[in-house]
Amino acid sequence: MEDREREVLERIERRRRRPPRLRDELVTLAHGAGGKASRALVESVFLEALRNPLLAPLGDAAVLDAPAGSRLAMTTDTFVVTPRAFPGGDIGALAVSGTVNDLAMAGGRPLALSASFVIEEGVAVAELAAIARSMAAAAAEAEVPVAAGDTKVVERGGADGVYVTTAGVGAVPAGVDLDPGRIRAGDRVLLSGTLADHGMAIMLARGDLDIEADIRSDAQPLYDLVAALIAAVPAGAVRALRDPTRGGLAAVANEFALAAGVGIVLEEAALPVRPDVAGACELLGIDPLHVANEGKLLAVVAPGAADEALAALRAHPRGADAALVGEVRSEPPGMVVLDTAFGGARVVDLLVGNPLPRIC
Amino acid sequence: MRFVEEYRDPDLARRLAAEIAHVASADRTVKLMEVCGGHTHTIYRHGIEDLLPRTVDLVHGPGCPVCVIPMGRLDDAIALAEDEGVVLATFGDMLRVPGGRGSLLEAQARGADVRVVYSPLDALRIARERPDREVVFFAVGFETTAPSTALTLLRARAEGVGNFSVFANHVLVMPAIRAILQASDLELDGFIGPGHVSTVIGTAVYGPVASDYGRPLVVSGFEPLDVLQSVLMVLRQLAEGRAEIENQYTRVVRAEGNPRALAAIDETMEVRETFEWRGLGWIPESALRLREAFAAHDAERRFPLAGERVEDPKACQCGEVLRGAIKPWECKVFGTACTPERPIGTCMVSAEGACAAYYAYGRLARREPAGV
Amino acid sequence: MTGRPGGEACITCGDVALAVAVVAVPDPRPAVIEHGGAREAVATELVGAVAVGDVLLCHAGVALERVEAAT
Repeated sequence: MEDREREVLERIERRRRRPPRLRDELVTLAHGAGGKASRALVESVFLEALRNPLLAPLGDAAVLDAPAGSRLAMTTDTFVVTPRAFPGGDIGALAVSGTVNDLAMAGGRPLALSASFVIEEGVAVAELAAIARSMAAAAAEAEVPVAAGDTKVVERGGADGVYVTTAGVGAVPAGVDLDPGRIRAGDRVLLSGTLADHGMAIMLARGDLDIEADIRSDAQPLYDLVAALIAAVPAGAVRALRDPTRGGLAAVANEFALAAGVGIVLEEAALPVRPDVAGACELLGIDPLHVANEGKLLAVVAPGAADEALAALRAHPRGADAALVGEVRSEPPGMVVLDTAFGGARVVDLLVGNPLPRIC
Repeated sequence: MRFVEEYRDPDLARRLAAEIAHVASADRTVKLMEVCGGHTHTIYRHGIEDLLPRTVDLVHGPGCPVCVIPMGRLDDAIALAEDEGVVLATFGDMLRVPGGRGSLLEAQARGADVRVVYSPLDALRIARERPDREVVFFAVGFETTAPSTALTLLRARAEGVGNFSVFANHVLVMPAIRAILQASDLELDGFIGPGHVSTVIGTAVYGPVASDYGRPLVVSGFEPLDVLQSVLMVLRQLAEGRAEIENQYTRVVRAEGNPRALAAIDETMEVRETFEWRGLGWIPESALRLREAFAAHDAERRFPLAGERVEDPKACQCGEVLRGAIKPWECKVFGTACTPERPIGTCMVSAEGACAAYYAYGRLARREPAGV
Repeated sequence: MTGRPGGEACITCGDVALAVAVVAVPDPRPAVIEHGGAREAVATELVGAVAVGDVLLCHAGVALERVEAAT
């Protein structure tokens, strides 16, 4: 072989080994076909941001080490929030914290996440890159790797922008058993912070309304808060945890009441709500009890441990506004009642309609 | 907010409740109708019934403008929404109200362009932004909301927004109160009168309630203390044998109302000869339509509407509930065939409807009220 | 906190109007009111000239009346 020919072949080989460069500005159907364009998209956008040893091989599956003595928790979620970026976060950060939190509510320390993307053709690559960086930051904050992923591209109109589906695996230590079935009369109900921030941030970010307020989504990962809570009280004192996302506090309280066959009484005056959130809710005629939160948890704890639990939440930066908001009674079973600031009472039921669609 | 907190002081509430218990009859149950959906809301939200003696019975009246839209009018709105060139702008309250062929929400799922707005001014803005579409605002509400529609019509005309029109379904409160007083199956002793409607129309309008029908009516604010004070004022009138129109909501309601608001309504709209109210039948001079001068912005003139009268489902007893003749749980289909998830009638759909309110709240056993 | 039995936004039905304070009167835009930190623009044609600090009763984006101080 001639020297010159060898040089050219070597140059081609070097080029092939380098990661393919992505020059495209918009995502096209080619990026979903599995060929070079797909690989370019995955490597330049996702791998670039989410780089970690589990993901880097880009194999069909990531193999994880399961900690001895722990059971595995698994969860899945899909995120269709619009707008995709909003004050306090974006769909990427939300996908990570939402999934981590589902694991945390079962007592699971996050081991790994996966993220699948359905992307409508025409979405800007720069936006995808921003979402990926956001996910990376959230994953780093939650100390969890994004170990697997997938991307599909659909024709215009086949999806609205970007949908993200996640799955998460977590390790639940021996002795941690969080289950609404364990809730009993006399237990206390704690909330880790202010209500309705996320849902209202999304509502205002849609820009359809003439209302302005500096409300930011509260999206944040909560495993470290959960760990602090569990560590601060005797084993078994925390009966159940849930994060009040879609449907708000009302939905979660009702789930607990039904699962345990107990009544839950909430104290209106004790519910923490930021003044600007309360103001925006009132202007719109919306009840904060039904609005989504993405960085809060509801905890039901044994009465003897309530004070320590509250102190532990408040001592943690993610639980600074925690409050004791109610208690569990045997009557009325399966129902949630709100003691109003006024001295009366009313039932808190689930929403029937959907005044706030696509908030997560 | 300081302004509002003064009207929610629990200590004052307890004192008012004690006064009420003192003035109320010990054995004869007094039935007071609160006409306005907003008062229903305040009462349930703050659990005011828990503070009243058992001899004071609050009956929820037809003050729910969403509840009283007849099914045929809703079908017309759905037909407008299904027109491909139309964007139907509506208050969120109307989305799940069942017409003869389903609800606006279901029409939206089938592809109709339905937009929820918080003000008719939002609908006008959509019309400005989308000159390629016809934007129709589904106007519902009492005299509280009519001024907003009127203002929007005046702006639309002034700015020449030709692709904006209104499907007018504004209803008037006093004719409804009169219809209730004339109904034979009623035993009402007094009224808690609408608050914000009165801001617009004033208080003199209610005169006949006292002069012709001998019942007291107290125009009430919406804070819990307002409602309690109004109940007390009505009970005092009854105890003293008086029947007068009184105004508890003096901080915003004046006897003559708001002349500018009335003028705006008068310039843009006129009273219909008659209008059908769901559950109450045809009531003369009880609703508004756009004046001839605003024909260019009148959806009823610009679009062909079937205008059919649709019978309420036979099982539906909304009318009797709206008139206060029966309590929600006395309706044969309450909680069984008619639930908030699958409502038959509007009393169950609207969040202010007596049935929806009772379904959510009434399942809770009433505690012993304070002061008794 | 707003609490409705169905929990849904129901402004017309409930005859809901709020007493809110004017915080800005930019010209030519409508007045800006504030409620608990959230700001909204409302039309003021029905109440005449307004000044910062006035308290207005607002419904569906329109100021219906001025609110007098409590007695």
